[in-house]
Parts: sequence; C-alpha cells; structure tokens
Amino acid sequence: MPMKMTELIVTTNSLNKGYRLGDAEVEVLKNVKLEVTRGEFVAICGPSGSGKTTLLNLISGIDRPTSGKIIVLSEDLTIQDEDFLADFRCNHVGFVFQSYNLVSTLTVAENVAFPMEWSRKAEEEIEMRVAELLETVGLQHRENHFPGQLSGGEQQRVAFARALANDPELVLADEPTGNLDTKNGQKIKQMMRMLKANGKTVIVATHDPELMQLADWIACLDDGRLVTQSE
Amino acid sequence: MSKAAFPINDLLRRRLQTGLTLISLTVCVASTLFLLLFSEQVGFGIASVAENTLTIGYWNIFSNFLLFVGILVFAVGAVIISFITFLMMVQRTRDFGLIKAAGCPNSLVLGYFLTELLIVLFLGCVFGVALGFLTDYAVINMSVFQAFQKTANFWYAPLVFVAFFVFGLIFGLKPLENAARLPAITAISPIQYLGLSTESRFKTLSKSQLTLKIASRSLFRRQSATVRMVVFLSTVFILLTVSITGSIIASDTTTSRIEKAVGRNTLLVAHKDMGNQYISLLSKFSGATAKTDFNYLDQNFALSDDVLQGLNDMRGVANFEKRLVYEGRIQEVMNFTFSDSATIPVGAYREANSLIVGIESETIFSEWFMEGRLPENSSFEAVIGDSIAAITFELPLLQSFRMQNATLNIVGVCLDPINNGIVVFVPLEILKNLNNISNPNILFIQFDSSADQSSSILELQKLLAEVNSDLMVFELNETLEKNVGFLEATWSVIMFLPLFSLVAATLCLIGYLVLAIDEQRHEFAVLRAMGAKPKTVLAILAVQSLIVLFSSFVVGISIGVMITLMILMAQPVVTSFAIISIAGWLFAALVGMFCLSLWPAVSFAKKPILKIMS
Repeated sequence: MPMKMTELIVTTNSLNKGYRLGDAEVEVLKNVKLEVTRGEFVAICGPSGSGKTTLLNLISGIDRPTSGKIIVLSEDLTIQDEDFLADFRCNHVGFVFQSYNLVSTLTVAENVAFPMEWSRKAEEEIEMRVAELLETVGLQHRENHFPGQLSGGEQQRVAFARALANDPELVLADEPTGNLDTKNGQKIKQMMRMLKANGKTVIVATHDPELMQLADWIACLDDGRLVTQSE
Repeated sequence: MSKAAFPINDLLRRRLQTGLTLISLTVCVASTLFLLLFSEQVGFGIASVAENTLTIGYWNIFSNFLLFVGILVFAVGAVIISFITFLMMVQRTRDFGLIKAAGCPNSLVLGYFLTELLIVLFLGCVFGVALGFLTDYAVINMSVFQAFQKTANFWYAPLVFVAFFVFGLIFGLKPLENAARLPAITAISPIQYLGLSTESRFKTLSKSQLTLKIASRSLFRRQSATVRMVVFLSTVFILLTVSITGSIIASDTTTSRIEKAVGRNTLLVAHKDMGNQYISLLSKFSGATAKTDFNYLDQNFALSDDVLQGLNDMRGVANFEKRLVYEGRIQEVMNFTFSDSATIPVGAYREANSLIVGIESETIFSEWFMEGRLPENSSFEAVIGDSIAAITFELPLLQSFRMQNATLNIVGVCLDPINNGIVVFVPLEILKNLNNISNPNILFIQFDSSADQSSSILELQKLLAEVNSDLMVFELNETLEKNVGFLEATWSVIMFLPLFSLVAATLCLIGYLVLAIDEQRHEFAVLRAMGAKPKTVLAILAVQSLIVLFSSFVVGISIGVMITLMILMAQPVVTSFAIISIAGWLFAALVGMFCLSLWPAVSFAKKPILKIMS
C-alpha cells in the first residue's frame, strides 16, 4: 500500500528498557517518546552509555522493551514473535553496526547476498543487486575476499551494502564511523548523504558532527531520557 | 589474584565447558576400567572354564573378538582423553594471550592453565575410577555372568588412573606450550582460536545453500579441532562396527554351525540312561556336567534289530542315523613332514580321554563346519572335534591316532558341541569290529516335514514301548536352544562393551558443538540481527554436527567392516536379517548421537540476540 511522505515510520511511546545486573536493576531507557516520519534523516546523540545503541536495537526488533510501545512501519514490534521479527528485520530494516559484524565465513559478495537469499529472491536478481551494491560502495574488485582480508573501512562499506541489500524502508546505523579513520569515515558519510538524497528513512546514532549536520533533526539522549529534539 | 584462586574461579565460571570435560573424562576412564575388570572377571573367566563350556574353536573366535574390542576400547579411551584435553586447552590460547598482553609473566599464565588441567584431570580420573568400579559391580552381579566371575583385580584402578592422567597431561600440555611460545598479539588473534584459517579456498561450495556454506566453512576454519573430532569419532565407529557387526555375524555363524551340527527337529532314541547321558554331553557346551563313570557299552543300552526294523517300517520317518557312543583313550601318533629335504617331526605321543562316536557317513545328520572330509565307511579314518584337535594334535590333518590297537588317519576336523569338542568320529563298522558289538546305542530320527510331529512321536513311543519299556524318545531342540542361547548371551557381552565409549563419544561431540557455538556466537548473533530465524542458526549447527558425524561414520564403518572381515571366522553366515539389524544398530547410534549433540544448539538458538552477543 503506497504511503504518504508524512507517514510515521517509527513511533515509540513510553519506552522503557532495563537490565538486571546482579541484584540491581539498571534503567537504560526511560519513557522515551520518538516519532520519525518517512524520508527523515535523524541523528541520535548522547554520551556513551546514554542508551543510543539500546534504542536502535529496540527499533530494529533485535531487543525487546521492558515496557512501552514501538510501532515500526505500522507493526507493533512488542507483540511479535521471534520469527516475525527476523523476517521484519530481513525485509524492512537495514542495520549498520559500529563494529561491522560481517560473517567471517562468507565472502564479501555472499555477505551482501545473504539477506536477499532469506527473502527468497531469484538468483539472477541477487547477483545483479550484489554487483550494483558493491559498485556503489566501490568494492566490486573485492567480491571474493573474506572479511578477514579487508581493512576496517572496507568492511564497513560491505556492511553498508549488506544493510541496503533488500532495499529496506528504514536504515539504522550505530556509530558507523566510530571505528574508522578520517578517509574511510568520509566514504561512509558520502554513502549516508546518498541515502538521504534517495529519500531513505535513516536513524543514525553518532558522535560525528558531520553526520549530525546531515540530519533533519537530532535527538539527544542523556541517562536514558530523550532530553532534546532539535532541527 | 592468587595462584590457586584463578584456576578454580575460571573453571567455575566456565561451568558448561568444565562440566562437559569432567563428564567426558569420567566416562572415558570408567569405560576403560570397566572393560579391564569385566574382561578379567567374565571374559577370561569364560576362558578359564572353557574346558567345561564351548569348544576351543568357538572360544578362539570369542576371545579374538574380546581382545580386539578391548584394544579398540582402550584406543578410543586414549583418543578421547587426548581430544578432551586438547580442546580444553586449545580454546584457552586466546585467554593465554589476553592475560599475557595484560602484563602477566608467561610462567604464571602457564601455571594457571596447568593447574586447571591438573584439577580437571585429577577429578575426571577419580570419578572415572569410582564409576568404573560401580558399573562393574552392577554388571557382574547380573545373573547371566555369575557363573564365570572371578574376584576383581583392584590393581587396575591405579593402572588406569596413572595411564590416563599421564596421557591427558601430555596431550593437554602440547597446546599450552604452543600458546606459551606465541607472542601475545598473535595469541589474541582469532586465527589462533581452534586453528582458524580464513584463506579463500572454499569456492567449491559457493553455489551451495547459505546454511551449508556457513556450516562447512566453519568446520574447515577450525580444521584442527574438526580433524581431531573426525579421527576420534571414526575410532568410535570402528569400535562400534567391529563389535556390533562382529558379534551379530559371529553369533549367527556359530549358532548356525551348532544348529547344523546337532540338527533341527532331530529326535534321539536311546535307553533312558544313555539318552540322558548323551543330552548331558551335548549340554556341556553351555555349562552342564555329564556322569564320568558311565558305562556306555552296557548291553542294556544296545538298540536291537527289532527297533531298527520297526523304524524302517514306520510311516513318516524321513531318515534315521545309527551311532555307537562310548568313552575311550586315544593316543596321538607322531608323523613327519618334509621341507627342503629336511624331515620335520609333527606331534608327539600325547594321550587323551575322548568321546568316541561311531557314524555312517552316508546317513549322518550333522552338517558340520569342518576342515577336511568325512571318513569312508569301513576304512580306518576319523574326523575329530576341534577341542581334541587343539589339545592333543599338532597338525591333525597330517596325523593319525591309535585307539584299541588300531591306527586311524585323521581326515577332518569339525566343530561339534558334543563333549565340548573332545570327540572323535570313527566309521561305525570299525567301532563295531573293535568292540565286537553289532548294535548301536543311540539313534537319531527325523520325520518328514509333511508328517504331524506330535502324532509321529506318539507312534514312535508306542513302537519303542513294545520292544523295550526303557527306551525313550528325546527331543534335541531343547538342548539346542540352550546351547544357542548360551552362545547368543556370550556374544551379546561384546555388543555391550562399546556402550560406554559411545556415551563418552556423544559427550565429546556435545563438547565440540559447545565450542563451535562459542566460537561462532557473535556471528550467529549478527545473522539473527540481519534476519535469520532461530531455526536457521539451529540448522547451521545441525549441519556441522551432521557433517562431522557422517564423515566419521563413513570412515569408521568402512575400516570397521574391513577389520571385522579380517578377524571374523571363515565362511561367515551373513543373513539379510543380520544386515538389517547391523544397519539398524549403527543407524540408531548415529541418530542418537546426532540428536543428543543438538542439545546445546537448541538451547542456544532460543537465546535472545543481545544475550548471544554479550
């Protein structure tokens, strides 16, 4: 069903997330309310331990909240089972981790291809899409290499290509430039700009001022609370 | 951090790995100790009473298997110990590097992990010895083995303890030494973890499914551990194949030979005392005793011509066989053979008491498994039992023996359970002349298959009663069943022996899969985060387990079958039922191991993604 540009892609309401550490309960997110509409580029900032990664994990369905609602692409993720969430992540969400997280037993091309294999795309379609994405990230000459044979920057570009494999409606990136040098960081930022230009909905947790400048608006977390939302 | 506290805390922290290692070690030590005790008490117990049970030919087949299975169980134990300690220590290479990188001196880190190894080895060996004794006590007191048991030799406990402790120490020290030699930066590299290698050499699998691709490459990546696991499991499957295939085929073969030697649906007609004595002689195979001062040639035992004539005229009688049975003394005759113009003496002049049985080759019911041929009627030839052949003769088929002033050439050696194989079969006419006796003292009868067996027996009993009220009909099937049952029970002992090894192997496989999970946990978390369902992770781990198990299964079964054929008796009886039951047992072992090995994978796959990542 075609959706309007103002349509809400992500809505969180009274979102709380806590962990038990021994006898102590640690509240990571407290009453977070967030709304992201289609095509927005949102940056989430905040000091380490403020809950940025946890918030992205909850939005992607990797983690479950202690309480509150998360509606992503009209689906209430809090009531879904693991299999639904797996399919949902595979088909609708692209996730870029800070530490790349490529599958070391798969080649570059296979790392980009596997989300498409799970969504049962045709082999020819997968091959074409892999070639297209590797060309986009400038790694077509590395398609048969294993992650261990790539530099950090190259691995992050592969991770980027993998996140876009199924052409997801929502892209989440957790400090995508955090582990990279300036040169590689620039390449990733270039790709983020491309996503913004293509109208993708992007939520990026970052400390990088350049990435924040790209954002339509910035949400700041402090001690688990969403303290400011600025244009 | 105190020197003693770190290893203990570390072992407690890694509860699953430590537990699995301890259980595997315990089962491994217990199985070896149990085998030694069991063989000593029952296996060789059977050997020591072989004069009263089995025949030497049958015992040789059994003892060969027992010895071979024993060697294999010990080998499996050694491989298990080496594998367990290798895995336990090799996975610590990275920790070794981390602690070194943090500034801890090499000798201190080595001390930490050596203490861990010593603690686990010591506990595993102690628990194993205790479990081995307990199992032996429980099994040995089962009624089927009580006739053969001897006192347990407690010296086996320190022997097994020391042997396995030293073995474990040697194999555990090797990866530790390797880790100690590595620079810290190399030790913390993932390349060191279980022999990882990330070379691009898996192109052949590039078109295969994602699950198979990840599973097979992960196996190749930790090739060092995988190869050891395959070698180890192959040894277990060799042991399983030899013991299961060997015991089933050997059981079928020996049973078939007993059946053919005694004859199915055979009736014995004799004077009641003579008949009972003959049954006792036949039952000595399974442990019964026969009278020693029995006068076989008592005139009352002779079967008159009236009986023979009556049988000739009786309807439904398919065949009958006359035998003259008595005990006598035989003496080996020395012979000579010629080799390269040298004369080599064969045998001596040994003497023995033996059962002497007069037979007519053309009417004999027994279809012996024999080397040589049947004696010709009225000629001075004989077939001898396998036990007397082994006890009294050197090369029986080149020799002769003397009895009652006559010399008889040995033309065959047969397997017959009567008198435990201490028997000579001589043409009936020769015995009649030697003893000046004209009538046999026992008769074997078989009815037509179309005849009603019970009414034919009644008719036969009536006929005998008319001639002599002391004559009786004995059914040999019951004695045959006893002998066959005893053989089957004996062979089932061998089938039972690898059970412990199988349990230890399964535990090791679980341990290996735990390591596989541990090594891949981050990747599995990534796969899950990217949209893999829990069942996809389970499938990857299941495929890894299946590849390891199946490749070991193929190697183990191939070598096992070859070994079995090498040590199995000549002309084995291989029925289709035997093949099905062998395949069934082996397949059940494979499926059982596979299902149990999935236990850690199932619980892992259910875990939330972030818990896996942490």
